[in-house]
Amino acid sequence: MEKEFIPRITSFVCKWCTYTGADLAGTSRLQYPTSIILLKVLCSSRIDPVFLIKSYLKGADGVLIGGCHPGDCHYETGNYHTRRRFKILTEIFSTLGLPKERLRLSWISASEGPKFAQVSNEFTDKIENLGPNNARENMFL
Amino acid sequence: MKKKIGVYVCECGPNIADKVDIDKIIETVVAANNSENVEIIGDRHKLLCSAAGKVFLEEEIKNKELTHMVVAACSPRDHNSTFINVCKKTELNPYLYKMVNIREHCAWIIPDKDKATNKAIEYIQGGVARVQYQTELIEKKLDTNPDVLVIGGGIAGIEAAISLAGKKRKVTLIERSAVLGGKSVFLKELLPSQAGKEYINKRIKDLTDNENIQVFLNTEIEKIIGFLGNFEIILSDVTNKDKKTEIKTGATIVATGFGLSDVTEFSNINYDTKDEVYTSLEIEKMLSEKGKLKLSSGVPPKKVGLIHCVGRDEKKYCSQICCNYMMKIANYFKKQSAKIEVKEFYKDLCLPHKDDQKLFNLTKKNGVDLVRIKEVSLNGTKIKYSRIDGTIEENEFDMVVVAPPIIPSDSTKNLSEILDIPLDEFGFFQEAHLSTNPVGTSTDGIFIIGNAQGPRGISNSILMAHAASGQIRTQLIPGEQIVPEVKVSEVLEAFCMGCKNCIDVCCYGAIYFDEIKGISVVNEAICRGCGNCVASCPSGSIRLKHFTNEQIYQEVIEALK
Ligand SMILES: Cc1cc2nc3c(=O)[nH]c(=O)nc-3n(C[C@H](O)[C@H](O)[C@H](O)COP(=O)(O)OP(=O)(O)OC[C@H]3O[C@@H](n4cnc5c(N)ncnc54)[C@H](O)[C@@H]3O)c2cc1C
Ligand code: SF4
Ligand code: SF4
Ligand code: SF4
Ligand code: FES
Repeated sequence: MEKEFIPRITSFVCKWCTYTGADLAGTSRLQYPTSIILLKVLCSSRIDPVFLIKSYLKGADGVLIGGCHPGDCHYETGNYHTRRRFKILTEIFSTLGLPKERLRLSWISASEGPKFAQVSNEFTDKIENLGPNNARENMFL
Repeated sequence: MKKKIGVYVCECGPNIADKVDIDKIIETVVAANNSENVEIIGDRHKLLCSAAGKVFLEEEIKNKELTHMVVAACSPRDHNSTFINVCKKTELNPYLYKMVNIREHCAWIIPDKDKATNKAIEYIQGGVARVQYQTELIEKKLDTNPDVLVIGGGIAGIEAAISLAGKKRKVTLIERSAVLGGKSVFLKELLPSQAGKEYINKRIKDLTDNENIQVFLNTEIEKIIGFLGNFEIILSDVTNKDKKTEIKTGATIVATGFGLSDVTEFSNINYDTKDEVYTSLEIEKMLSEKGKLKLSSGVPPKKVGLIHCVGRDEKKYCSQICCNYMMKIANYFKKQSAKIEVKEFYKDLCLPHKDDQKLFNLTKKNGVDLVRIKEVSLNGTKIKYSRIDGTIEENEFDMVVVAPPIIPSDSTKNLSEILDIPLDEFGFFQEAHLSTNPVGTSTDGIFIIGNAQGPRGISNSILMAHAASGQIRTQLIPGEQIVPEVKVSEVLEAFCMGCKNCIDVCCYGAIYFDEIKGISVVNEAICRGCGNCVASCPSGSIRLKHFTNEQIYQEVIEALK
């Protein structure tokens, strides 16, 4: 029998907004799938595009980045850099023929618990439809 | 040396205990990690954050001689500092401890107990993997200077200086002009209470009488280096640039106030210097100095037109105080003589204070004709306007008063370069956060208050002075040391190519370039640890302590096992 596919989504989030938003989803007892694996950084601008590539190559079915809304970063302009780096990375993914749909960037504030749960659910559904990432088996890097 | 890693799972009463199988978690984590080099000491506790829980952890660290510790409990936002303080009572360096959130991110979101248990194991495994790659960090304590420099001797700067000065905290206030008080000293009456100039004059006296405050007139700041708690500053005399004074402070407050825009730069306003057109401030000055409002011929005006909000559309912001003071000015005329015909033209009315409505009613009662318009233009003393119903009219006045937009003081741009703090889209100083910290800036220890941050009246300027003063009092307590952030970045000299990407992205100016070595260097005292520079470095030459790539990868690898 085929095993149930539970995606693994490495989710890099900033401490100030999205991590706190995720906490609020918890305190509000909202449900979101176990596929979301939260990894905390202080600011989304710490998220090196290499983290996403590494996650993908290690077999993550999806990678999520969460940060404060533009203008709300606790380190002034950090998330503008995040947005630019994310854009460049998705371009690189397209160029190399890699599935950029497996990457997602969302701005989720500390008060947006429901949005955190919603993004987690939506993105998990999407990844479920895409199926498992077989990069781990296919890539020799 | 064999690592002894304590893994403690908190029950949080029923909050965690009912939702996951704690015994299974501990069993699994112990089995998965115990090896030749690693020994896991796993245990559970009812309430780790309670007094008993803290003692329990402290004893465990001491008795079991832990080399690392993982606490699986609530969000670190709730109790990370609780457990850091436990570590600090022991030999265990707090940076060799890691908190894992299995409550908000696990127990509370997954109704199925088996799934929640597995999720908790996954998170704790990530924590156990990561903690082994964490390194000790030593917190250094720095002596601080509690003194403060205030730049600008308007009402905002004066109030800040008076509120901060004390036996243990000296304040230096510098004022570029030869007089104290800023624009407020020109105002005949002060809304809302019409307390008048006596209040301002009293505060100027309080300031100059205060033996803990040193005032330098005709003085500007030339240079500042340092960080919160330790700034070194050079002041220079405006009249004699060679006359310099060096001072040291722990914080700096910028209270440089505002200027008024030249209204003739707007296409709908056209007049000559010989026309009887005055700015609002000129009217205030005339009344303060001469006691009466008169035309240049010396006779009082009979018919006065007031135009609000000149240039608001061009400047793209509301100056906040003009509606308010224009009604005050309209009433100046009416008080002088009820026979003076006064027409006031406005597009929108901004009445933000609780007694503004009263002023509005009073103004109408005094017979001022308040006309709401769509468009207005001025030619000499002729005002052409379209009412909101579309009808166009034109009236000739013998005196016209315009309310120019409040703009940043002309020294703002230069000062932003000296202080290395950014300006907003309108050219005012940029606050750290508009809603949560409007008096802070991107540099710890540098504050902006009053109109230097944006247009506002006196009471709000004073509020900001007190807000900044409050922050300084809690951040710089005389005689106490501060512990600078230790989770900071460092450049690995051997790999840096000198591309300066990191310098470009750091919004705190925490990185400087060592020209001799050709590499970038992080100033640890300024770095806030955001990690932006790390992600910008093409050669991987920057390490952010406690958030190194290696440490983060451990969690990634564990998550994807
Ligand atoms: C016509 C008019 C009427 C008003 N009526 C009212 C009213 O009725 N009620 C009310 O509450 N508010 C009123 N206001 C607003 C009020 O004037 C301001 O809120 C107040 O002056 C702001 O104080 P401040 O200290 O921020 O700035 P300012 O008064 O502008 O003072 C700033 C000071 O900093 C100095 N400075 C500037 N640059 C430097 C530098 N680089 N180095 C050293 N010093 C420097 C300036 O010389 C000045 O002394 C009115 C404003 C106008 C224009
Ligand atoms: S430490 Fe956190 S999880 Fe444990 S009892 Fe206290 S609040 Fe609950
Ligand atoms: S971590 Fe942030 S604050 Fe520190 S040097 Fe890098 S970019 Fe600047
Ligand atoms: S980005 Fe990296 S390589 Fe470039 S100057 Fe900074 S530390 Fe050196
Ligand atoms: S702190 Fe949240 S994105 Fe920078």
